[in-house]
Amino acid sequence: MSDPLYTEIIIDEAKHPRNHGKLEHPDISQHDANPMCGDSITLQINIKDNTISDIKWDGKGCTICTACTSVLTQLIKGKDIDYVKNLQKETILSELGLEHLIQQSPIRIKCALLSLKVLKLGLYTYLGNKLENKDYDNLKEEAASLY
Amino acid sequence: MQTSISVEQIRKDFPILSRMVRDNKPLVYLDNASTTQKPNQVIDTITDYYKNHNANIHRAVYALAEESTEAYEATRDKIVKFLNIKHREEVIFVRGTTEAINLVAYAWGRDNIMEGDIIVTTEYEHHSNIVPWQLLTQEKKAKLEYIGTDDNGELLLDHLDKYLATGKVKLVAFSLMSNVLGTITDAKSIISKCRKAGVPILIDGAQAVPHIKVDIQSLDCDFFAFSAHKMLGPTGVGVLWVRKSVLETMSPFHGGGDMIREVHKYETTWNDLPYKFEAGTPNIADVVGFGAAIDYLEKIGMQTVRDHEVELTKYALDKMSKVKGIVIYGTKDISKRGGVISFNFHAVHPHDVAHIIDREGVAIRSGHHCAQVLMERMNVAATNRASFYIYNTKEDVDMLVKSLEKVSELFKL
Repeated sequence: MSDPLYTEIIIDEAKHPRNHGKLEHPDISQHDANPMCGDSITLQINIKDNTISDIKWDGKGCTICTACTSVLTQLIKGKDIDYVKNLQKETILSELGLEHLIQQSPIRIKCALLSLKVLKLGLYTYLGNKLENKDYDNLKEEAASLY
Repeated sequence: MQTSISVEQIRKDFPILSRMVRDNKPLVYLDNASTTQKPNQVIDTITDYYKNHNANIHRAVYALAEESTEAYEATRDKIVKFLNIKHREEVIFVRGTTEAINLVAYAWGRDNIMEGDIIVTTEYEHHSNIVPWQLLTQEKKAKLEYIGTDDNGELLLDHLDKYLATGKVKLVAFSLMSNVLGTITDAKSIISKCRKAGVPILIDGAQAVPHIKVDIQSLDCDFFAFSAHKMLGPTGVGVLWVRKSVLETMSPFHGGGDMIREVHKYETTWNDLPYKFEAGTPNIADVVGFGAAIDYLEKIGMQTVRDHEVELTKYALDKMSKVKGIVIYGTKDISKRGGVISFNFHAVHPHDVAHIIDREGVAIRSGHHCAQVLMERMNVAATNRASFYIYNTKEDVDMLVKSLEKVSELFKL
């Protein structure tokens, strides 16, 4: 049986989410929730030499939310900060064949992009504080209105 | 009317306008400043919503919920376009102008008005732009002051200068159009004075938005309130617009569902704007219906609405001033006046006037129009008020005048 939304890869990612857990001494720890359904995600990240050296996530989410979070963490682990800054929502969605959500499901798109929102909020807060750079406030606002 | 859509065509969209009242008299509806009638487009949209799309919004994932959410949010987008608003999250749905102003008094006022501060309003405000400020200033030991009116019903703006000079004014709240006299407020002057003094501004747009083109960005105020039912939409729906930078600092108004992000036993985090201020299941069907009302007005065009009302008001002022014993209030300068005419007979109480002309099928308002402060200033207990909208005709005015002549005859004025 095949389903356009619940594909094998999505179900697999959700059943066996990668990078699930907590970090001992994270440089970034960011939490947010989806007020529509109660999904909540905490991302913890370590940064070393301008690179995402480690990332873990914890929280509660639906299949779409969990699968997207799992894929997101795999995608950015080992990548440099600029990669994350430039990461677009379409990239995450296309990893799981979910681009159609943008047009078709304004409610489920929020499930799919919660972790990306948490990631960007966390990173920009970290960079803003570290560099004492107010420019990141605008980026944070952009991240908050991701969908 | 100078438009491709004639008044006759418009009237066909309003089923209530073809009914008879009293002794089989055609209805002449002239109480539009109080509430307007609804076109089929609005009535049908609400019926269609309940028949085909009804579900709660913002939560469930099934088809109906998606449709209802989309329809509800579509009205927010229509308002954004209609009033040239910058950010859609600045638009908060409430029950009406009254609730909107109370929301500001509670959620903003309690954090920003302190002992000794001054809130300034005007003598021609509706009670909804007076009483919330009385409650707030009494609670905070602050003061409420008024910009007075001259005998023409125009504001005496030097009163504002006097209050601003104290440095204690924390809010200026005024109506963009008087619901009694129809005076269009010189908002530009008030706002530029307030901006120079760094004072926030609240505008009651309940009378203005239905009748004149309003551009929120160029107005440059901080709070703006209006109601759907005075602009062809359903009752029980209104809008509070708040400048984003101000809204972001505001505490919630009502606590409950939909306004939260996460709720734990002893603490709660808030939902994004504007949902933080939309607690509980809102009036979904009527918000959707309001969207149809905005579509209807957009189709006609607000300049056409205004032009039609100017023409009718000029015609009415001319005809009515010839009725024996009548006193008409407010400015004669039509550029400063909306389609609202308050009047009295020297020796006849307004309730008697309204009663007599009602028997002719003419519906006008009599009373204090929720503006007793202005009644006191005008030294009257009450007035009669005729107010026009897009579906009114010169024949309606003729009927009004004819029925008023009966009053003169009856009381031998």
